Amino acid sequence: MGEFEELVLTMVGILKDEAYGNSIVIEIKTQLDRKVNLSGVHVTLYRLEDKGLVKSYMGGATNERGGRRKRYFELTSAGIKALQSIQEQRLKLWKLVPQLKFTR
Amino acid sequence: MPQPPKTVSNLLSRLCPDYLWESIAGDLEEQFMADNQELGLGAARRRYVWNALLFIRPGILLRNKLKINNTIMITNYLKTAGRNMAKRKLFTFINAFGLSVAIAFCILIYLFVKDEQSFDKFHSNAKDIYRVEEYAWRTFQTESKDPYMQSAYLQLALAPTLKEELSEVKFATRFNGGWSQVVKYQNKIFIEDIAFADNDFFKMFSFPVLEGNSELFFLEPKQAVVTKSIAKKYFGEESPLNKTIAIDIRGEQDYDIIGVMDDPPTNSSFDFDILIPQENRLYYERNMVNWSSFNSPTFVQLHEGSSEQQLLTSLIDVRDRYMKENMERDKEEYDIPEDAIQFEYRTSNLLDIHLNPDVNWHKVSDPQYSLILGGLAILIIVIASINYISLALTTSASRRLEVGVRKSIGATQKQLIYQFSFESVALAILSMAFGVIIMILFLPTFNDFTGKGIRLDSGVWLELLGFSLAISLLVGLLAGCYPAFYLSAFKPSTVLKGGARKVKPGLAKPLVLVQFMFSSALIVSALVMYEQMNYVTTKDLGFDKEQILVVPTQYGWTDESNAAVAQMRNALQSNPDIIDVGGVSSSFNRGWSRYGYTINEENKAAYVWAVDPHYIPAIGIEIVEGRNFDLTNASDSAALIVNEALVADMGWENPLQEHLNWREDSIGPGYKVIGVAKDYHFVSLHRNIEPMFLSMNKNDAGHLTTMLIKMRPRDISQTISEIEATYKELLQDKPFEYTFLDEDVDSQYASFEQWMKIMSLSTLFAILISGLGLFGLAGINAVNRTKEIGIRKVFGAPLLNIFVMLNKQFIWMAAIAFVIAAPLGAYIINEWWLSDFEFKIELGWKVFALTFIAGLLVTIITVTYHGFRAAQLNPAETLKYE
Repeated sequence: MGEFEELVLTMVGILKDEAYGNSIVIEIKTQLDRKVNLSGVHVTLYRLEDKGLVKSYMGGATNERGGRRKRYFELTSAGIKALQSIQEQRLKLWKLVPQLKFTR
Repeated sequence: MPQPPKTVSNLLSRLCPDYLWESIAGDLEEQFMADNQELGLGAARRRYVWNALLFIRPGILLRNKLKINNTIMITNYLKTAGRNMAKRKLFTFINAFGLSVAIAFCILIYLFVKDEQSFDKFHSNAKDIYRVEEYAWRTFQTESKDPYMQSAYLQLALAPTLKEELSEVKFATRFNGGWSQVVKYQNKIFIEDIAFADNDFFKMFSFPVLEGNSELFFLEPKQAVVTKSIAKKYFGEESPLNKTIAIDIRGEQDYDIIGVMDDPPTNSSFDFDILIPQENRLYYERNMVNWSSFNSPTFVQLHEGSSEQQLLTSLIDVRDRYMKENMERDKEEYDIPEDAIQFEYRTSNLLDIHLNPDVNWHKVSDPQYSLILGGLAILIIVIASINYISLALTTSASRRLEVGVRKSIGATQKQLIYQFSFESVALAILSMAFGVIIMILFLPTFNDFTGKGIRLDSGVWLELLGFSLAISLLVGLLAGCYPAFYLSAFKPSTVLKGGARKVKPGLAKPLVLVQFMFSSALIVSALVMYEQMNYVTTKDLGFDKEQILVVPTQYGWTDESNAAVAQMRNALQSNPDIIDVGGVSSSFNRGWSRYGYTINEENKAAYVWAVDPHYIPAIGIEIVEGRNFDLTNASDSAALIVNEALVADMGWENPLQEHLNWREDSIGPGYKVIGVAKDYHFVSLHRNIEPMFLSMNKNDAGHLTTMLIKMRPRDISQTISEIEATYKELLQDKPFEYTFLDEDVDSQYASFEQWMKIMSLSTLFAILISGLGLFGLAGINAVNRTKEIGIRKVFGAPLLNIFVMLNKQFIWMAAIAFVIAAPLGAYIINEWWLSDFEFKIELGWKVFALTFIAGLLVTIITVTYHGFRAAQLNPAETLKYE
């Protein structure tokens, strides 16, 4: 899994019931101060869906966006497992790094 | 409420899979609203467009799934298309053949244009390299209407001066190519194409250096760099480095080979076999300080970041510094108008020089050629497409039932349009395969016609395939469009009831008329070109060009050359097969010199040839007054034989009493005129016969470089080998080369003959394709009218009557097309091609009559088969179902 895929997957986890294309873009911007393009997020979400890590469903009609429905994404159990294993690997590797301390 | 721009989202909604579109559009709009609040409407709209455009990417587009039922239909379409093609083999053949030829033609022309555009692109510094040019007021009269001349030949000292004095110039070189000189290594003696260049040449241009260090090239004058093929020719597998060859530039001298380069590719503006330093040119020292002699093409490379404009500004300073006095003197002498540009340097980027015909260069081309060829290609494509359309329309009868059945089962018109377009595209792609084969077969002929050396390298294939696919798709869609709409519009109710079977030809007739018109115009043009070429090659030129061998002495511009001519004549006089041997400074189509001089304050100019007394009898020039030169008469060395045009120009009543002071001798009266030659065409028929004279004076008029050997028309090859034996014996270390005078003269029209051939080829293609189309149309016409013919026959109409009735309309169409298109074709060819000739044929009734007969003949031949077949059918057969 690529870095960006991992990021988007994490965001889907963070946003829970409110995860759709635009909200992920905004969340990445507020949390990480990183600008990403909407089309990139969409393509990544569809790819994650192909891989079975997220699943999508259409929300109800809205007023703000010309009445168009949102496509919400949520983690599948495979997606949750993937996120967990990534975190564990990170932690394991982090422990192997010998004493990173600030030196004065 | 502010609205996002619609265009991009409309486009996106079409490309994007339906099931994703709603959420994507929603997200985009949401972003737009947020941007609108934050950044304002303008920025929001720009962002919206940009964000929407970014959605057009494979990750989205590839999610479009072909709908299952569509693929099923495609197999069905393919099947029906195949069955239809198989059922009507003749029409399929006509269509496929026409399209193949058209596609082949298009690919060839694509290759031509591509080759033209690719000139000099392989130099990595090309964008910084400029050729400096001269733009100046003409100081002697010519036939050109333009009072200014443009030339690439500049002062010898210019290149070194520019390099030294201008900060923006990084490198500068002179390049004089096209010198055919004798090259000798041990027992190998050949004539090679020598070019003079400078050290910077190797730094500026990207010709790969295979051996030697290009940094060190041409630091000494007696060095040479040879091409790979020359290295192979003289030294075989041995390395040529540090070997010494002898090159004869006004006397033989030794040159050390210090490098080997790749042969220049065919799309290079520079051509050479051997490069040697500029210092070896004749009168080098003298010309280095002479700023009024123009003899060296000059190229500079600018430092990166320097502009052409900067260079032009500096060039004005250079001109003012070095040419001021000369210009002031010339201005007075030639009465150059005050407001005229007397002289200025101009520049062209290296990439532009190939397609700039205003400045002469030995490989220069005209962008017009690409345009004309492209026009021809489009013409042929249109003719082939018309075939497809008219045949599809007229054979639609057999497709009516199919359309009816499909519609009643539930096919929409859209689907039917899709089906018929699919069929035509399938046929076009099939034709493409044949087209590519035809193209490969014709490429050598095409290369021959256009004088190009196009090869199909592996790299070019992908591009070619892409191009031919694009052309096929375009033609398939364009040609398939109209029939598709026409066919799909049938109403099932009328079709299936079995109503009128007759097909309305609709657009078919006018389209065939257009075809006829194109063909007539092409036939007229080809005929005019053919007649003109026939005229120039058979016209009496005022001298005898048959059985004359042109043999250069290979001594160049020297006294030895004069002696060689005399020696050869003495030796050959005893040979009964040789009538005479004449010497001349330059043979026909081998260059000329023209002198300008002032007589009675009037500027005059005349062509000058140095000859010996045998020249005039050898080539049969007629002397109308006076006598030929005579060696025993000492004063003849200062005598002239002039042509009638010169007599007329000078306004002489009694030319034999006159002198011509062409050397502007301030003491004597000048050269005495001892004879007047009847006007003969010493230059090509593109030009008028202008004043000219012949002289025997070696110092003033020049040396004899070439002998013209008049032979008896017996066994020519035997005679030539005898001449060669004599030559080898007398002039031992010179290569024997010869050409025939008549071929030399004819080759003046080579480029025009080229165009004639291209035109004939296109005409042939056009006639072939439109003939095939007509053949198909006539067949359908006959089938449509079988019942009518049957009834007529029952009432006793004779065969001929029916035949005429069937074909009358086609004859009419041919006639109408001829009346419209033939004059147009004649006009165009007259303006574009014929106008280059000073001596040309008159466009008479003969050309038009021939075109008409040819058009009519093609028409009658193509329609006859069907006409007779239909007329001969037994009415009992055709009417039995009624």
